[in-house]
This record gives sequence, structure tokens and C-alpha cells, in this order.
Amino acid sequence: MPKITINGQELEFKAGQTVIEVARQNGISVPHFCWHPALSVSGNCRMCLVEIEKMPKLAIACSTLASDGMVVHVDSEKAVSARNAVMEFLLINHPLDCPVCDQAGECKLQDYAYRYSSGESRFEEEKQHNKKRVELGPFVMFDAERCISCSRCIRFCDEIAGDKELTFTKRGDRVTISTYPGEELDNPYSLNTTDICPVGALTSRDFRFKARVWDMSKTNSICTGCARGCNDEIWVKNNIVLRLTPRFNKEVNSYWMCDEGRLNTFKFINNQRVDGPHIRRNGQIVKTGYDEAVAFTVSQLKAYNPGEIAFLGSAFASCEDNYMLAKLAKGTLHVKNIDFARHLIPGSADGILICDDKAPNSLGAELSGVKPAPEGLNFEGILEGINSGKIKVLYCLEDDIAAMSPEYENTLSKLDFLVVHATNHNATTVLADVIFPAAAFAEKNGTMVNFQGRLQRLKPAVATIDMDRSLEGMEMSRLDKFGTDFDKWAKKNRVDARASWKMLQTVGSLMGLKMKHQISEEVFADMASCIEAFHGLDYDVIGESGIKIKVNNTAKATK
Amino acid sequence: MELLIQAGIALAKILIVITVMLLTVSYLVYFERKISAWIQNRRGPNRVGWYGALQPFADVFKLLLKEDIVPSNANKFIHSLAPFITLFVSFATYAVIPFGPDIKLFGRTIQLALADVNIGVLYVLALTSLGVYGLTFAGWSSGSKYSLLGGIRSSAQMISYEVSMGFSIAGVILLSESLRPMAIVESQYGFMWNALIQPIGFITIVVSAFAETNRLPFDLPEAEPELVGGYHTEYSSMKFAGFFLAEYANMIIASAMIVTLYLGGWQFPYIDKFGLSMGLTAGIQVLSFLLKMALVLFFFIWVRWSIPRFRYDQLMNLGWKVMFPLSLLNLIWVAALIMIFNI
Amino acid sequence: MPEKKREKDLTIAEKLYIPEIVKGLGLTLKSMFRPKFTMEYPEVKFIPPASYRGRPVLVQEESGTERCVACGLCSRVCPSLAIEVQASETSLEKERYPVKFEINMLRCIFCGFCEEVCPEEAIVMSKDYELVFRDRSEAIYGKDKLMVPIRQVEDRIEFLRNFK
Repeated sequence: MPKITINGQELEFKAGQTVIEVARQNGISVPHFCWHPALSVSGNCRMCLVEIEKMPKLAIACSTLASDGMVVHVDSEKAVSARNAVMEFLLINHPLDCPVCDQAGECKLQDYAYRYSSGESRFEEEKQHNKKRVELGPFVMFDAERCISCSRCIRFCDEIAGDKELTFTKRGDRVTISTYPGEELDNPYSLNTTDICPVGALTSRDFRFKARVWDMSKTNSICTGCARGCNDEIWVKNNIVLRLTPRFNKEVNSYWMCDEGRLNTFKFINNQRVDGPHIRRNGQIVKTGYDEAVAFTVSQLKAYNPGEIAFLGSAFASCEDNYMLAKLAKGTLHVKNIDFARHLIPGSADGILICDDKAPNSLGAELSGVKPAPEGLNFEGILEGINSGKIKVLYCLEDDIAAMSPEYENTLSKLDFLVVHATNHNATTVLADVIFPAAAFAEKNGTMVNFQGRLQRLKPAVATIDMDRSLEGMEMSRLDKFGTDFDKWAKKNRVDARASWKMLQTVGSLMGLKMKHQISEEVFADMASCIEAFHGLDYDVIGESGIKIKVNNTAKATK
Repeated sequence: MELLIQAGIALAKILIVITVMLLTVSYLVYFERKISAWIQNRRGPNRVGWYGALQPFADVFKLLLKEDIVPSNANKFIHSLAPFITLFVSFATYAVIPFGPDIKLFGRTIQLALADVNIGVLYVLALTSLGVYGLTFAGWSSGSKYSLLGGIRSSAQMISYEVSMGFSIAGVILLSESLRPMAIVESQYGFMWNALIQPIGFITIVVSAFAETNRLPFDLPEAEPELVGGYHTEYSSMKFAGFFLAEYANMIIASAMIVTLYLGGWQFPYIDKFGLSMGLTAGIQVLSFLLKMALVLFFFIWVRWSIPRFRYDQLMNLGWKVMFPLSLLNLIWVAALIMIFNI
Repeated sequence: MPEKKREKDLTIAEKLYIPEIVKGLGLTLKSMFRPKFTMEYPEVKFIPPASYRGRPVLVQEESGTERCVACGLCSRVCPSLAIEVQASETSLEKERYPVKFEINMLRCIFCGFCEEVCPEEAIVMSKDYELVFRDRSEAIYGKDKLMVPIRQVEDRIEFLRNFK
């Protein structure tokens, strides 16, 4: 293997790698603005200048191919002074906007200004002024003054999103980003430009000014917008989810995430929640205690024979929730009618990230045992059974069946008794007789299986009354760490909701289900022991980036 | 009938003395606070009444309204008894202090003292040594380390300084040849004040008086930095006020004794030579007694805000190695005077 | 400083102690007649100098808007987590403004870090030291209580320019 020496370390590399790639692979940081591992090399920011022996001038590490015997000095005197100069140039026209800039705290320019800049400017003239608020598209705001013309956003649109929308116009210090005439930055991945923008020039209009990054806690989790299960980070302040950002996972989503998943998959957590259990009393849905709701449910379930009961799992719930439902239905009540609703929109997949299956855990639900027993009814069969009066009781996990079509809504209204686990009040809960408050994906531990058969972790980012932030080892922001329980940010915004498996276990325990799991990890251990696909796995093995599992032929992957 | 009148007069005197005494005590607290404020360039109490003149009453009401807390491991009976012993001893001592010459009123000769006991000085000494029981009881019965230490300190200190006090008084008695306070006062006619005749004795009695009354610089029994509050740490409400009052009452007694024994008592030098009327003379004499007492009291307060507290070993050293020999020296000095001048 | 005297170095007069006591008494007696320092507070109010750190206030411009751009640095630097800022967008040139700005006066320790870190001279320490609340919720000062016209804090701003 060829070898290259960077900062005195002799490193092996593969032919075709650039110097910056080799350095990065080995944990040597070379500052850069325009280079991005997933984008083509542009080489216009000049920040990655390094000294290479036997080369007459400094070279940019991002476009110089590593070659055998090359000796590179990243931090030599010459390289450092060149970086100082580059920083000084970049800062000439960059406004001192940090206090009002959303990027502050996660800004490369800011970080590098601390690390590599000389700390003063010799530029006494007036800075170049430009437009501060340009709406490039429905989700992205552009501040022309802050732009350092790295062209990352342009390359992203061209290369990743495959939709040429952005370009440079003008020259010199007047150079600016603009959309092509008649175009808008409206591709389904447009918000990724705000992530890769090294400065605060491109910001999310949705998140704009909502919070400073240092006030939020971030939790590694996955997106539940479709069967892709993009790895993401959940950013939470005062127990409210404020944004999702993609997290690198080579196998799933690389560095990216779609706008739909980023903007529309978390907002339900913050409002219109089912807060505490509700039951129908005299035709009205009223809030009640857990004991009463559970007792009511159990008495009703016992009043019907198993043939009259059906269970619906959910492709939106975690594997643990579905597993517990299957155990309750098949193992305890001997109900054969159990399935879950598929949320397929054929043809909506775009070949980048977005899938046809709009539910995140269809595969996982099926693997966890939510499928009709022999002679049991499947989803359509159950609905027919309800229409024909054969099925009188439906137990429905976190899925809004009634909202899928008016026909389904009509069907559900014919039931004698409907139990729903729901995160939010929706069309199905309106028809329900018992509503158990379900913890949303960001409020519980759990696992989901994406369409590739990759088992990935959900982690709690939002505290509920059932999940305490510090006790459950959740990520904590500065306020969470240093405040007390008496502070309003510690008390506010906590929903009375429980993970569905926990609720199902409580209901089941009164009907003969012999399980006493305290945490979802124990449920998963249980699953791992009796479901073949999960053999030998636990939460530690799954880790931050998930693990590919063996999917047998019955569970068909749908992209 | 005569007996009844006698009793009436005695009762009236007692009432007057007790009332004046209680008022003086409460105002002494007020003046203590005022003077300490002045020394520290502050104003002192100035909110309640004219220049804060009603402050003592406000304090008393406050103390009355406070909850009386008795610690759970205290000896309840002795804990409650202690402040009363202390108070009783202080007030009872007043009985023998003469505050003026005999006066004639409605054809009767009335002595301006509650009781002209011929062993008055011994009576005072006896009672003041009883006072230590109050503090020791308080310290022991509270069931607190601080209190106990305070109680022990106070008894040790009082016993030590009583010796030099006794010898200082002995010098006076040698000169006056009587234990009757009236006689002692009368023996200091003109400028023959004992303070001038036996200055060493005066110094030792003043120092001993400070020690006996637990005043700074000898307030070790209640040394706040070490003992929280000393013997009265565990006291609250009126029981605490009892100790507080007793301390100031003791100050008054001490100053009255100093005035009586060393500063000519109610004598105003050569007033009988001025040819004033009998009533006026008596009035001036009573006033002069009060004025002298006031000055001594002021001195007490003044010293408190000037001199820091002694260390315990320093206190004992001073008591046994300095004050005691000095008082003996004083005794010799007086004896020598008598020998030489045949007074 | 004169060398500390040991007991053996004392003169006889000093050893006698009484002259020293008299000296001390003389000193305290003298100070009894010196002018008093006491300020009779509710009637006579202490007007602090510009260097005084009273309760923090938000500077209100002549136009009636706050200077604050809700950057959150004060909230970040606050060692007692007293400040809560929620930013929002405004059509003014400054782009963002605090839609909510709350200081919990029970948490505030009057350290003045917020003022020191503020890039806009928008939060300054006032001369107000009279903070009274009847319950804890009253102690959370919102924008209504925090905004103070710039005229009232001019000398503090002047002080900061000279000494910050």
C-alpha cells in the first residue's frame, strides 16, 4: 500500500484519495469550508492549504491527490500563516452578525475564526452590504452578506438533489448566490443546504430564531417519516422538539434527510397530545385515571369471545410495542385476528431517500409478530368482519385508521368497543371508547426496522411524566443539567403518556400475560430470545447506526 | 397603727424602687444601644417613639410574644427556675442600697433605703454569690454543650473575682468600721471618698464588678463567637428576657455598690456648708447619688464598646495573679493609713 | 509596618495595661462625637454611583423598541440561569427581537455578566436595588418590567464605555 506522511505520521491510503480524505480518515483535522465528503471538489475556499514538501507553493488538501512518499505539513508555519490570511480575507466582508445569526454555535467560520484567525482585521473600509433576507425557497432563507461563496449548496442541488436551482451571479466581492430565473430552491431536499452551509447564509425558515444551538439537547434517533428511517438528531429545548437534523449513516441516508421528514415528523409531539388516559362515559370522552381505564378495558375484553376481537398493530409503533401487542393478542387472549395497516403510496419513491412506504416500521411490526395467525383475519378481513358484525371489539395501536379513508371511519364507528393507543387526538380517537396516551417516537426507547431490514434505535429526547430526563439517562441541555426541579423549564411541557408496550403489559397483566418488564431493553431481550431475526441482538449491539438483520422471505421489503 | 404606717412606707418605698429599677433597666438597654451606636458613628434606635425612646417597650412586647422554647433534653424544672433565681437575686440586692440621707416627711424620719441592715455589705456579697447558681443552673439544665461551657465559665469566673472583690470591700470596711451601707456612706464625708484614699482598691473593685456582672471584657460565659450565647443559648422569649434584665439589673447594683463603697454614696461634698434647706439638701444628695450611678453605668457601657474580650486563661491569670494580690496590697495600704493617721 | 511587639518587648506602661485602656477609651469617646454615617433609608434614599450593579434592565430606545436582539448571550453567560430569552423575527433592521425576555430576580445574583457580554449594550445594570415580591411568580420580571428608557441608564452606559 502506498504511504503518505502527514504531520510526521506515516499513513497508508488507497490510490485516488485526496490528502484531506487521508488526513480525515486518520483523525487529523484540516480546516475546510467548501470541501464536503459527499460532494465534488470545488477548491475555492483555500482554507485547506497545506505545505507539501518538494512542491513550490502551498497546495489545497482537498484537490491534491495523495501519492506515495508525499510529506505533508498541516500545521507548519507557512500553512498557518496562509490560513490566517485566508481567514482575514473571508472575514473582510463577513458581517459581525453572530448575535443575531442562527448559525452561531455551529458555525465553521466562527469556530475557525477562534482557532485559525489572527484575531484582528486590518480592513478599515466599509464592508460590502447586501440583501439580508432573501427567500430562496419555501423553506430556506438566504443572507447574502454572510455567504462566503463556498458553493456547497450549488453542488448539493446539482449532485445530490439532482435539481439545478442555484448558481453564483456577479463577481469579486459582489458575488452572490441566486436561483436560476423562474426557479425556486424547492427540491424535496432543500433544507440540507442549510446543514452544509458552513456559515449562517442559508437558514431554515422553520427553525429560524427559535433557539440558540447551545440551549438545546440533541439526541441521536431516527426519522419516522418513511420506511427509510434516516438517522437524525432530535433537538430539544424546554422539553419541546424544535428541529431534526440528519446524522451521518453511510448505509441509510449518508448526510442527508428530506424536507418532509425534517419538518413534518415531529410537530405532532408538541401539541394536541392525548394527555392521560381517556374513556367514554355517557357518550363523552373524559379524562380518567390509569387504573380505571385499564379496568374498563379489561372488563370489556373479557366480555367478548376471542373470535369477536381483533387487534391492529402499527407500523408507526416500535417493535417492542408491536411485540407486546402480539403477545397480548395471540398468547394471552388467543385472538387470531391481528394485523396492521400498510401506508403505501406507490410511486412516491424518488430513488434518493424517500420511500413508497410512509410508515417507518412496517417490517418491524411484522417481524415482531403482528400478522394474522392461521385462519385469522388480515387487515382487510378485519375491516370486513367489522362491517359484517363478526368483529365487535378492536384494539388499535398508534395508528390513525379512521383518517386513512372515510370508508374506514364509517367501519370503525360500527364497533361495540374500540381501544386506541394514540399520541394525539385524531379521527380514530374520536370514535374510541378507551384512549391510552402513547409516548411518541421521541419519548421512548425502542427499535424500528427500515425497509432495508436495518434494525435501528429510537431514543427518548422528550421527557414525559413517565420518563424523567435525568433518571432515564436522556440527553440534557445546560438548563436541564444545572437547573432544579422547581424551575419552570423542568416542570413545563411534560405529557402524561406511556410507551405503548408498558400500557399493553399493564392491561395484559390483568388478563394472564406473564411479563414484568421495567424498561424497553428487557422487552427487546425477550424478543431477541424468541424471534429469530433478532437473535443475539441487544441495544448495545444495535448501537448508534443500527444493524442489518436477516429478514425471512415472508416479510417482503417494500421500497 | 404605727406598724401599719411603717409597713405602708416600706411598701411605698419598695414600689418606687422596683418601678424605677425596672424602668432604669429597660432604659439602660436603650442607652447601651444608643451609646454603642454613637461610638460606632451610627444613630442607634430611632424609629419607635421620639429618638427611639419607646424602643425598650417594643422590645419587651416582642419578647413577650415570642414562643417559649424548652429543649427536649433539658431538665425542664431547673431550666425554668434558673432565670427566676437570677432575677430574684438581682432585685433582692437592692434592698440595702441607700440612695439618700434620712429625710423628714410629715413629721417622720424616713430612711432613703429599703432596709438599713447593719450587715448590708455582707448581705450584698451573699446574694451576689447566689447569682452564680442561676447561670450555672441555666447552663447545666439546657442540655447543650455551649450552655454547659458557659455555665462552668461563669461559675469559675465569679468565684475567682469574688475573692478580690471581697478584699477590696474589706479595705472600705476597715476605714468605715461598719458593715452598714449607711455608715459607709457617711464615713466618706467631703472628699474623703474611698476612691481617692485607696485607688488600688477602687481599680480592683471596678474590675471585679465587670467580671461579676459578666460584662465585656469579661463576658466569657456568653462569648458569642465560641459559645453561641453561652448559658442562655437555649433560652427564648421571657425566660431569655429574664437573663437579659438580670444582667442589666446586676450592672445597676454593681454601679450602686461602687458608688456607695468608693464614690461617697449619696454624699455631695460639703453640701451642708452651703446653708440650703433640709429638703433641697436631701434632693441634691439623691440626685448626686443618681448622677454618680449614671456615670458609672456609662463607664460600664463605654468599656464594653472599647475593649475586646479576654481569653479565658488571661481572665483567670488576671483574677488570681493580679487582682487578688492587688486587693491584698490595698488592704495593707489601708491598714498602714490607719496605723499612721489614726483615722 | 512596625514590627509586631511581643510580650517581652512591651514597656512597663504597656504592661500595666491601664494606660492603654485609657487610650482606647479616649478613642471611643472621641468617636462618639464624630458625624454619623447612618443614612435613614426609607426617608433618605441612597443614590448609587454609575458603577453600582442594581437589577438588570433592558434599554429602550427613543423609538420605544428594545435594543435587544435576543442573541441569548446573557442567558448563556448567566451563572445562575436567571435569564430566559425567546427570540422572534421582526421586520426592523435588526431582524430579531426578544418576544419573551424574563429574568428571575430570585435567581439573579447581580454579577453583571449579562451586561458585560451583551454585544448591543442592550442589558445594563440599573441603580434599582429595591426589589420586593410577595410571591415567587412575581419575582419573574418580564419585558414590561425590564424595559427602561435609555435616558435613565445613560450614566451606566457611559461608565461601561469608559471602564468595560
